[in-house]
Amino acid sequence: MKRSVEVAIVGGGVIGCSIAYHLANLGCRDVAVYERGYPSCGSTGRCGAGVRAQWGTEMNCRLAHESIKRFERLEEDLDYPDIEFKQGGYLILAFSPAQLRQFERNVALQNSLGIPSRVVGPDEARDIVPHLAAPDLVGATFCGTDGHCNPFKVTDAYARAARRLGVEINTYTSVTGFEQQGGRVVRLETTAGPVECGAVVNAAGPFSAQVAAMAGLELPVFSQRHQVVVTEPVAPKQRPMVISFAHGFYCQQTPHGSFILGLGDPAEPRGLDIGHSWQFLADLAEKVEHLLPSLGRLRAVRQWSGLYNVTPDAQPILGPAGQPANLWLAVGFSGHGFMLAPMVGLTIAQGILGMEAEIPIDRLVLARFARGELVPEPSVV
Amino acid sequence: MRITEHPILDFGNPRMVQFTFEGRCLEGVEGEPIAAALHAAGIRLLRHSPGGRPRGLFCAIGNCSSCYMVVDGVPNVRTCVEPLRQGMVVCRQHGHGDLP
Repeated sequence: MKRSVEVAIVGGGVIGCSIAYHLANLGCRDVAVYERGYPSCGSTGRCGAGVRAQWGTEMNCRLAHESIKRFERLEEDLDYPDIEFKQGGYLILAFSPAQLRQFERNVALQNSLGIPSRVVGPDEARDIVPHLAAPDLVGATFCGTDGHCNPFKVTDAYARAARRLGVEINTYTSVTGFEQQGGRVVRLETTAGPVECGAVVNAAGPFSAQVAAMAGLELPVFSQRHQVVVTEPVAPKQRPMVISFAHGFYCQQTPHGSFILGLGDPAEPRGLDIGHSWQFLADLAEKVEHLLPSLGRLRAVRQWSGLYNVTPDAQPILGPAGQPANLWLAVGFSGHGFMLAPMVGLTIAQGILGMEAEIPIDRLVLARFARGELVPEPSVV
Repeated sequence: MRITEHPILDFGNPRMVQFTFEGRCLEGVEGEPIAAALHAAGIRLLRHSPGGRPRGLFCAIGNCSSCYMVVDGVPNVRTCVEPLRQGMVVCRQHGHGDLP
């Protein structure tokens, strides 16, 4: 393991690996990633694997839209055989006139940014997903370029491409402390010994607050469990992701044929628990019966949970921390980090290298909370 | 391949029922696993897995997916544990089943 690196990245999920790759690809190859387990063992590999540009804030829209363009050519860019990218669209369900009005505003924003989404009525929604029941449906929005992608493969693709460019990826290596001098982090303490560093990136996902605290920095984030289930595979039946914020529900069929379903629980306590519950399956079955009853006979084959790292406005915290001066943040993705990873990796790398960022992520810096410039994202599960 | 005498279990007077397999009329004992009735009729090939390989009984206790068949239009039925009933329509499953 190197004892001195230009950029040290804490966290080997899709965000950390994407930043590492983009740094190396832009010419900064003296980079190391420190991962407490293996790449994608945390929130990345536990996510619902959806990819959408249908967001309600400009920054989420732009980051996601540009990321989808990159997912489209990622196999070629990273010389990787298959990331299981499927663009079957996202159908987002509205269950009240007020929700539909919010969706109409979202679509207007999305269209202004070049995202090909549209508002559809209940009949067209059922043309798009014929087995959709939801008798109380008011309307929906649809974007055909949204879809699914395999988070393990995307992370692996970034990690392998980064390694080929000289990046060191240290697995089963935890960062346990930072040594600061003159307001900068000069040294990392890790379970494999100390490392001198020029800059540090906090890409620690659900542990972002703990990592920041080691540098004396408090982040306005919390972690929260979200449970997911995957079913037995069947022949292709449902092309789009079906998602309902009113029910906290999402459901998508993977290219392999299995269905991935998730349900947010508003009463879920904050914390780092990643156990799973029988109650989740019971609650989920109720929603499936209401929204997509023909999936009710599918057998669940595996259930797990992962952690969202949630910010006050459900938008990520990106950019320099301010204090320490050489600490960078790519945290607080609030449940949608995987789908933003290509653009987050690129823009954070550009920021670290002093280049102009492809997208003005300065609006997402930590200081926005102190300034009270909150633009809350309305479209979250 | 049908157990008629058992040291502990008593099968009583088995009632024979009719069902179809791939359009053929067959007979089996009511309540026995569908796969048992098929085996008794000499049918060992129950499905083709997604790669095209032929499959027959494997675990025979409802744990694996080797004996999935389409029964009355429903795919992925574990025929090693699903009881046979009068009039069932049983078909081989090819690859992933189609959800009705």
